[in-house]
Formats: sequence, structure tokens, C-alpha cells
Amino acid sequence: MNLLSRSLVAALCTVPALSAVEISEEGKVDFLQDVYPILEANCLSCHGPDDASGEFRVDKRDTLLQGGGSGIPTVVPGDTFDSYMVEVLREEDYEYRMPQEADPLPEHEIAIIEAWIMQGGEVPEDFGEDAASNTTDLWSMQPVVRPETPEAPGAATAIDAFLQKELTANGLAFSERANPVDLIKRTTILLTGLRPTADEVDAFLEASAQDPDAAYEALVDRLLASPHFGERWAQHWLDVIRWAETNGSEANLYRKNAWKYRDYVINAFNEDLPYDQFLREQLAGDQYGVGVATGFLVAGPHVPAATVGAEPSAIRQARADRLDEIAQGIGASMLGVTVSCARCHNHKFDPISIKDYYSMTAVFEGIEFGSRYPELPEGHPDRQRHAELESELAAMRAILSDEVGTWQEDWQGWNETFFQPVTAKHVRLTFPRKNVSIDELEIYGPVDPELNLALDKRGTVATAPEGLSHGRGPAHHINNGETGTMNWRPRKDLEDGIKPSITLTFTEPQSINRLNLSTNRQYFLETDYLSTYEPKSPQTFIVEVSTDGETWTEVVSNPIWDQHLANNPSAAEFQTQLQATVDRVLDEGPQASFVGLFIEPEVARVFHRGSPENPKGEVPPAGLAILDGDIGADSSTPNGERRRLFAEWLTEPSHPLTSRVMVNRIWHHIFGMGIVPTPGDFGFAGALPSHPELLDWMAAEFVDPTQPGMNAWSVKGMIRQILLTDAFQQSSAPHEVGMAKDAGSMYLWRFPPRRIEAEVIRDSILQASGKLDRTLGGESYRIHNVKKTYAQWEVVDNHSEHTWRRMIYQERMRRVDDQIFTAFDFPDCGQVRAKRPVSTTPLQALNLMNSPFAVEQAGLIADRAIAEHPDDVSAATARLFELVLSRSPDAAELDACLDIAESAGLEVVSRSLINTNEFAFLP
Amino acid sequence: MNPSEENLSYHGRRLLSRRDFFSQTGLAMGALGLSNLIASDDPAAFTGKTPIRPTIDPADPYAPRGAHFEPAAKQVLMIYLPGAVSHVDTFDYKPDLYKYHGQKPPGIPEVTFEGPTGNIAKPFWDFKPRGQTGKMVSDLIPNLAEQADDFTFFHSLTTDTSAHPQGENFFNTGFTMEGFPSFGAWVTYALGTENEELPAFVAINDPRGLARSGKNNFGNGFLPAAFQGTDFSAKNPPSNLARPSSITADHDAQAVDLLQRLNAKHLERFPEDADLAARIASYELAGKMQTSVPDVMNIKGEPDFILKEYGVEGGSELKGEYAKNCILARRLIEKGVRVVQLFNGSDPSGGNGITNWDSHSNILKTHAMQAEIMDQPTAALIRDLRRRGLLEDTLVVWCTEFGRMPFLQANGTGRDHNPDAFTCFMTGAGVKPGVSYGKSDDFGFKTADKPVTIYDFNATLLHLMGLDHERLSFYHNGIERRLTHVHGHVVGDVLT
Repeated sequence: MNLLSRSLVAALCTVPALSAVEISEEGKVDFLQDVYPILEANCLSCHGPDDASGEFRVDKRDTLLQGGGSGIPTVVPGDTFDSYMVEVLREEDYEYRMPQEADPLPEHEIAIIEAWIMQGGEVPEDFGEDAASNTTDLWSMQPVVRPETPEAPGAATAIDAFLQKELTANGLAFSERANPVDLIKRTTILLTGLRPTADEVDAFLEASAQDPDAAYEALVDRLLASPHFGERWAQHWLDVIRWAETNGSEANLYRKNAWKYRDYVINAFNEDLPYDQFLREQLAGDQYGVGVATGFLVAGPHVPAATVGAEPSAIRQARADRLDEIAQGIGASMLGVTVSCARCHNHKFDPISIKDYYSMTAVFEGIEFGSRYPELPEGHPDRQRHAELESELAAMRAILSDEVGTWQEDWQGWNETFFQPVTAKHVRLTFPRKNVSIDELEIYGPVDPELNLALDKRGTVATAPEGLSHGRGPAHHINNGETGTMNWRPRKDLEDGIKPSITLTFTEPQSINRLNLSTNRQYFLETDYLSTYEPKSPQTFIVEVSTDGETWTEVVSNPIWDQHLANNPSAAEFQTQLQATVDRVLDEGPQASFVGLFIEPEVARVFHRGSPENPKGEVPPAGLAILDGDIGADSSTPNGERRRLFAEWLTEPSHPLTSRVMVNRIWHHIFGMGIVPTPGDFGFAGALPSHPELLDWMAAEFVDPTQPGMNAWSVKGMIRQILLTDAFQQSSAPHEVGMAKDAGSMYLWRFPPRRIEAEVIRDSILQASGKLDRTLGGESYRIHNVKKTYAQWEVVDNHSEHTWRRMIYQERMRRVDDQIFTAFDFPDCGQVRAKRPVSTTPLQALNLMNSPFAVEQAGLIADRAIAEHPDDVSAATARLFELVLSRSPDAAELDACLDIAESAGLEVVSRSLINTNEFAFLP
Repeated sequence: MNPSEENLSYHGRRLLSRRDFFSQTGLAMGALGLSNLIASDDPAAFTGKTPIRPTIDPADPYAPRGAHFEPAAKQVLMIYLPGAVSHVDTFDYKPDLYKYHGQKPPGIPEVTFEGPTGNIAKPFWDFKPRGQTGKMVSDLIPNLAEQADDFTFFHSLTTDTSAHPQGENFFNTGFTMEGFPSFGAWVTYALGTENEELPAFVAINDPRGLARSGKNNFGNGFLPAAFQGTDFSAKNPPSNLARPSSITADHDAQAVDLLQRLNAKHLERFPEDADLAARIASYELAGKMQTSVPDVMNIKGEPDFILKEYGVEGGSELKGEYAKNCILARRLIEKGVRVVQLFNGSDPSGGNGITNWDSHSNILKTHAMQAEIMDQPTAALIRDLRRRGLLEDTLVVWCTEFGRMPFLQANGTGRDHNPDAFTCFMTGAGVKPGVSYGKSDDFGFKTADKPVTIYDFNATLLHLMGLDHERLSFYHNGIERRLTHVHGHVVGDVLT
């Protein structure tokens, strides 16, 4: 009360009842004398040292001017409209108005503040405490400095030395070496996702007996060179970025050729693509001739336009959500920070501002969820083939242009109509049939054959006769650059005799010679397996042009032209040949793939409270400010270049997060728990590293290797170093001291045993039956139906022969239950998944006992054993153990199984074996 | 004692009896969380409250766990109506719609979700006062109308989206985006279940198939898979439940016995391993489910008057199937299943003709067809639960993702989506009967009084289950995730 009245008096005394205009004319407002007393009286109790609500304080120069947690500048000098302080003081909604739960400030006080802002909003440099410097205490953002390897007697490797130091400090020690059978199982599963065959086990036992170290090193090198290594490790990466082959959301449409990105990841791991290059290619593969790699950017779910709705605000929100998916993916996988937490306000814990967030999404303003023809490197055989086809096509077109003059090409997803150049201000299309829908009409001319003159952004206007268009298919949909379900549709109930027509009017007369139109080219390019979609575009129509809108000249008329072809066999022959060439291009030429569509980047702005309806200041494309994220880009920097610059920033050898996050991820996949147990969050809300020095040593080693044979950024090299430690090669057996002191095995006194993933279970069963098709890459095997657009995917066959491939090649459908392995914590691909939870449910038991897959494979495993030992049940039973568990049974096991094998059949035994704990656990 | 424990094998019992050991050693949390390793509890930063993460023993993830405080309801039945039920044609009576019928007063936007807007349309069914309270309810749903006195209406609900899949996600998971845990998963994660011989969380899909957001409506999101809804219905048992026909019962028993012997031997090498123990126990529970689930699905023993009351015969085929699902829902609640989610509607292409409540054209026909399926069986289900005393401990929720517009679509005969005002109701344990909470405006176009967000609604549901929505959380990728994100207020006025 006292404060309030004092300030009122102060305000009234210093500038009694002045309006903003009067002040600016008559005198300068002084911050300390005129403005601060108002703030002190009305704001300080919540926005001061006691509370700092919204991380905003009026008693500190930096936050007073730059804003608090919202990230919106409180004061924009000379601009009361953009100054957030004025906005909240004048807010009409009492929920958002300041001061909260109080009357609005009197008009004259607001006027003083406005006058101060108009005059430049000056605050003495030394007002309040020290301005925040651009530093942070966050451990993960400090530079990586390679620590000295500690003295550790007997430690086999540097990594062991760091671990041993902590073990000793905690009264623990490494366990003895694991027995060779466990060791080869563990190593083979971790590196390839498959169990070793009995022969491999035998060979390893023999070699180990000679020289255990040499045998083990040879094993590791053999497995790292296996093509199955890439399949196993790609799976981990795809989990993190929740990659899937469907959009998610209502229609959950299939993403055509998205699997090409999956193959890219498998190859990257197999070829040991340096990790920095792997990141750069995924962010800006188009800049490096590896277009498919940008599938990374569109790995997450999105809602297609058809189900966003027609409201402009919903459309803007959906776009912001898509950019957020991109930011989330990069944050969780590459940066290891939760950048999306800064979408609505500055990050609550980490030094990431809302401006950082929108700067980061600005980098990807040129990306849209969709398909394009992926870029290929120079000299790629496909690229050569495409060039050959293109020149064939050009030659055919040249002949047709001379001989026929007008022709059409059917590109499945769209139709192209060519004609002789003609000058037009208006172009009218008339359709003989009523049932027409066109998502896009493009018009091109000879001046710039790539420039779509019809596009509304160039001022071209589409009009259809009054009352002709359907309410949900207005004329302007035809040239808005949006393909897919946003189409122009005439009403179906038109009276007889009225033909659908539409006119496009350019701003200036243009020379034109080609039309391209489609019903739904988006579905053709982006999706597949729909029973309700046939890629077919209207082929029959009349095109007329006019310069004045009154006299019209017909330039194309299919009916007449069809007649022309009928009467002119040589023209018809040309047309047939041309279409054959087009078909070849469709078959052998570039394939549109769902790896991201490029669009013109919009100017990026901070969205206040995360709402696209509240855009604030422009932000440049950039990385995180706290990590020197200025990449020298601005809103005019081209799409590809801004992503390349960001990728270069992210993969600077000195970047503190990039290398730490990846070595921790590798560690997590090997030991089941990262040194930082929250692999996607290296921020204040994440967990601290259990062995910070070890993490930094490995991060340094990853970027700047010292060990023999290790290359910079080599994932295989880093895995190899970890696998050659004593820590990895030790037994997983528990003991009392260890369990008492460290039951979670965080200090690695033993190798922590754990459940294997869904994929390992499935793939190993197929390997046991001898039915595993080891072909690498290619289209996913399908277990689902061909569906209507708006229907759910249904599993129709998850077990027949066509599915006998590694599970990484199973169609990865967002939130679809595959009826077997979803129950085994297989991710639904909706959210990033840095680590899979491991749960145990009766449904898993039911699926693995009773599913057609399990029963059928149990039979095939038994058949295989019998085929190898047709007259010897005992040998066949023993063989089952080798096939499933990679070992021979002991006498008691064999006895127990023989009884059942003889009475019930061998398939009963194999069904039990694939359900055992031994089969489901990594030893 | 846990009901399923008595019949467990020696190993199963021994392992379960050592739960204390597991939790002491910390092994128990190894598989299911990192709670003690997380540096900071971030909900505290938003709410000043520390998270309560249930301690889950991997050997027994469904064991009953205590609520945060004395719960009003121990079980919940959520009847979900995909497609968006028109509030102005059912429970939210608006006389002004008659007055302005055929007009387009100022304030109606030019465009809503599906496109251009048309004129105000009066309700397509007559409203009448019902029961003691005189609550106005339309003739579209005469059976539910009879029980209006017992219901607690929320007339001022708002949601964040006008699109169905995002709306279903938002209602059922608290987020419009994909991949977040569903309400049922959260409750199961928090409370486990009283009857481990049945799944803790059952989703009964519409006879026509899954709703638009599919499994996301009852999925586990990033929670362990143990907490996902198990979907089955009167027609379709859970997949892979039954012993395959190619295997005899005797051989099946031998296989199970052999499995447990092999596992017992393997366990000797890892005597204290909770994950191995969990897997052994899960096979034993699976065996019990093979009996208990067919038992609960078998409605043949239900008396004729029950079949008649629910409307199994005499209506459309779909109504009959939905009625059987309603009987199944009651039987599951009777058996102590923690969360039952019953769907009345599917994805639009899931069947022939009308598949859910979405009524952009000819609402007169489409809503009527959907109501014919829903009304009698649902009313019978609620009445039956009450008659058996099950509503003492069970909360029933009747809900939909948003409402419909008071005006028609341009040149149309249907109503577009309305995210700014719609109606749901609760009844049973913990809520005041005969209360109508909040108001929409005179057209039912936007909320006018005491708005209730989906966050508030979910916060209230959790509260009724004895759970503090600000404290029930799960660490996922840097954030202590909650069903209610960082929002939500319990609607205290409706609580008993």
C-alpha cells in the first residue's frame, strides 16, 4: 500500500498528467526518476529479487530490456507497438494483463512508459546487477578437454583405467572374464542383432583355447565387418528419430520410398561413414549429392493438409508443429538437448532461449514434409542413366514439336500438354465431363521453361463461373501451389449442358506453350498402398486463350486432336513412341522419395507463447547462441546453404555436445545404460554422467584419436575400442558384494545382462529355422493391407515367407500394432525414443507362444533339426539347442526334452526353447 | 494377498515374495526408470510439487499400488464417442437457435474447419425437461435422457483443435501430437490393478473397427509396454490368446512345463535377477488369462432380461454388437479391471455407411443412426452398473473430442466441428449427480461461463482416481511428462 501511494505521488509530481505526445515534445523522461518508480511500485514484488516470476525482473537492466522467460523483448526502443511491456499493460484480457489481479495502471503512468520507450528506452548501463554474460554452468556445454588417463594398475585400456578408478573408490573390482560362449553371444548380438550359429561358437571356442585375446579381437573385427552390423546399429538411430514409413495421424498414409533413407543409414554404419559427415548429410544431403539422407529431417509424424482443416490459424499451427518435429529430432539425436522446451518461452533449465528455438527452426524453413527426387552425386550410374533418358525425351519432343505441334504426355501423377507458343493474358480450360477435380494447374512458357506462370504468388488469379465450384473446392485451390487434397472441384449437380470451366488471368500477357495438370499429384509422389487412389489426371479438355478477355482462340482441343491422331498415322506413331519413353523415365528414371520437399523459406519470427498467431521479431537461421551459433545466415540465405552452414556449426570438432552425445549413445547401446543415463538430454534436467572424465576422454578420442588404427569420427572405431576393454569382456554373473553396493551395475563390476529387443528375438528365430533371408536393403516387407485413405492399417499377414527378412525391413508404421512385437516395447514412433523401455507382460508370453509366426517357426526349426538327423531323436533334440540357444544341452536338459520330443513331437520342444529366458536375454 | 499369487508355481511365488528384496537393492527400478539418477525434478519448477513416480517391480508390474490420496473411484469406465457428438442436439439446450433459425447473425465466422459457414439451425430433435431436475435433453437419446438426474454435465468444455485425430489424441493423451501415453496407461502405471488375471486396461473397440487415432487412444506412448490397453471386444478376443488349434491341450501343457523347467535351471546362474523372474511370472499370468478372458467374454449366461435391457436383439446389427460390448464392459468392471474404454464409433472408412458421430452432411440421418446404436445399450450399461452397486467405486465418463456448430455448413445439411464449446458427462463414484457445470453461450458456439479445458477434465478424472495430476509423472527425454502437460485445474465444484 505504502509503495503504491508513494509511487503515485512521485509520478504525479514529476510529470503531472502529461500525455505521451507532450512529453516527447517538451522534455525527456528519465528512467530512474520517472519510470522506475512506477515499475517498483507495481511490478517489483513479482518481478524482482523475491520472485522473478516468468524469469523477468524489472530491477535488472538486461531482463528489463530483453525480456524474461517469454523471450520477447520488453522494450523495443522507439516502438511501443512491439514493446511487450506496453502490450501487457494495455492488454484487455484480465488474465494476461499486468499487473495481475489488480486494476490496470492509470493512463498517465502508461503514457510515461510509452514516452520513455519512444525516446529510446534508455536505462543506465549500471542499473541493477551485472548483465548476464554469455556463459553457462551446464557441464555438457563446456569444451571437451581430454583428461589424463588415471593410474590404474593392471588396466588393459585407457577406458578400463577410468572405470577401475571408480570401482576401486567404491570397493569394487571387475569380474572375471566371461566364458567364451557368453562372450561370443553377447558380442554377436550387440554388433549384428543376431545370435551366433553353433559353428561360429565352436570355431570361437577352438580359437579361444589357443589365444583368447587374439580370438576375441578377430571376432570383433569379423562382426564389425559384417553387413548385419549396419542393420543392427541403424535400428538404434531410427528409434531415436522415431523414423517410420507412415505419417501418423488420421489417414496415417504410407510414405513412398521413405525406406531409401533407412538404407542410407544402414550403409552409413556399414561403411563407417565418419559421424560428422553422417550428420552433415542428414541435415543438408542435397548440398553433398546425397539427397536421400535428408529423410532424417522428415522422420517424425505430421498431419497432412487434408486433416488440418480450412481455418488459416489451424494451417499455420500445423506448419509450426511440423517445424517443431524437425527441431525435436535434431535436439534428441544430434544435440542431446530438449530444444523444443524453448518453443513457448525460454528453456526452464538450459541456456536455450526462445530466440534460439526459432533461429533453429529458421534453418529448416525450406523443408516441408513431402517427397522430392533425391540428389545424386556426380558420376552416380543412376544419374548418368537419367541424363540419357532425358536426352532421349528431349529429342522425341523436338520431333513432335516440328511434326505434330500439340501433344500430351501421361506422367501418371500428372498430364503435360504441349502446344506452339501463343501469347495470352487469360487461359481458359473447359472440360466435357462433370466429374473433374484438379489440385494444381501449372502453365509454362518458352522464356523460362521452369517458371510456373500460373502460380497465385505471381499474381495470377483463378476464377470459375459463379456457383460452379463446390464449397470445399474453390477455384483458387487450382493455382495455390498446394497439391493433394486441396483441389478445385466443380459441383456434381450441374445442369445438363453446363460444362465445368476455369480461367486463369496473368498480371501481364505471357507467351505460353505448356500446361501441366493433375488430380492429386501429391498422393502419386508421396504415398502408396491406397485402394481409393488411382493416379489419373484429366486428359480431355479444351484450352482457349485471350488477350482481352473477350475474344478467345482455341489452342488445344483433345477431341479434335484425337481425331488428328486418328487421321495421321505417323503422328500417332510419334505419340506412341514418346509415351513409351515417358514410361521408361517413370520406371528407370529418378524416383520421388519421401525424404523432404523443398519450399521457399519464409522469414522466421519468434512466436510469442509459441503461437503462430503472435509473431514477434525476425530471427536469422542460427545454432544455439550459447555455443556461438551465429552461422552468418539471414532470412535471405538460400534453403540448402543455411542447412549446410548449420551442419558445419554442429560438426565443428570443438562442438561440446556433438561428440559427447554420440559416444554416450554408443556406450548406452553396448552396456544398456549410458554414462549419461538420459541419452537425449544433456541439460540440467537430464542425469549427470556417472564417469564424466571417461565420457570426455572418449569424446576427445572420437574427434581427435590417439589410439592406433582409430580414425576421426569413426563409429566402428569407437565401438571397437569399447568392446576390447576388460569391462566389456567380463562375466555378467552377479555376486553379493556387487549386488549390495551397486545393484544397477552402474560402475560396471560386471557386464549388466539385459533383455534383447523385439528385432533380435524375431531375427534369431528366423535364423534358427534357417529361413532368414539375409538380403540387404530394399523395399520393406509388408504385413498390412491395402487400405482406403481414411481407414486404419490392418495386419493381414505377419508371418508368411515374404516376411522372413530381418525385422528392420518390416514396414515401420506409426502406432500400428503388428500383433506380435509391439508388445515387446517396439516403439510406436510417435515420440523420440533415445532408449526403449523394457517391460514384461503376459501379452508377450501369449504372442511368443501362440502367434502364427511363433508356432510356424517352431515347426520349421524342428523340421530342420529332423532333416539333419532323420533317424536320431536325441541328436535332433540336441540340435534344437544349438539352433536356438547356440549351445548343446546338458544331460538333464536333454532328458527332459527327449521325453516330450518323443511323445509330443520336436516342435513342442522348439516352441518352448524360443520362449526361454536364456533366448530372450543378453548374457 | 494378490489373487493371482496363490496359484503360482514355487518359483513364481518365491520370486514375488522377494519383492522387498528387489526394491531394496534398486534392481526393481533398473528396468522401468531412472528416477534416482535424474538430476532435477522439473515439475517442481512448474508447480512447486515433486513428482510421484510409482515404484514398479518388474517382476509384478501390475501389482496394486496406492493412490496419492484416498480415491473416490477405484475403477473407471470411459465411453468414448468418436466423431464429435452435437451438444446442441443432445444435452445443451439453446432456445436462441429456434429464434435465429435460418439466419446468420453477426459473429459467425466465414470459414470453419471444413470450409464456408451457413445459417443457424435449430436442434434437429425436440428437447423436453427430464426427471426431478427438469434437465432439458433431446429426443435423440431418450434412454440416456431418463437418467439425466444422475449425471454430472460439463457444458463448457473446450479443446485445442478442430481436427478429429488430433482431438482424439488430445482428449485421450493430453497432447494433440502422436506418441503420448493414454489416460488408461497413466492410470494403470500409477495404480496397477486389483485383478491380474485380466488385463489392467481394456479397450473395447467399436464393432466397425478402431477410431481415427487408432491405438494411440489406448497406447502406452513412451511408458513401458506393460501399461498399454489390451484391445478386445465381445466379437474379437485378444490376438494370440488362444492355444493354436494345431497344438493339443496336453502338448501345450507339456511345452509350458518344459519352459518353466528350463527357466528355473537358467535362473540358477542369475539367482537374484528381477527381469528373469518377471518373465517367469508373466508366463504364469498368461496361462491364467487364457481362462479368465474367455470367461469374462462369455455373455451366454446373461439372463434374457439383461440381453433385452441392453438391446442385444431387435435393433440394427451394429446396435446388437455394441450392446454386447456394453455387457462385456460391465463384466470387466465387475471383475475389477482398472480402466475400461468403450468406443462407440470408428474410423470413417471402417465399415459401411455411418461409422461415427461425424455429421457434416445430413445430420438428421447420421446422428440418428449413431444414436440408435449408442443410446439404449449405453443407458442400460449405466443403469445396470448402478443397480449392482458398482458405481460406488466406479466412475463412468461419457465423452467425445469436441462439439458441433450451431449453424450449418454453407448450402449444407450438417454441422461442422466446434472446438470451443461441447458437452460430456460423468456419473458414479465421486461426482455430484444432477449438476450442470459451466455454460456455453446462447448459441452453444463458445464457452460462456466456467470454461473447462481438456487438461482440467483430465486433472479431475485423475483426482477422482486419487491421483494428483501435477505429481503423476514419467521422465521422458528431458521432461517429467504428465497427462496434463503443465496445465490443468481440478473442477472441485462437481466433486462429492
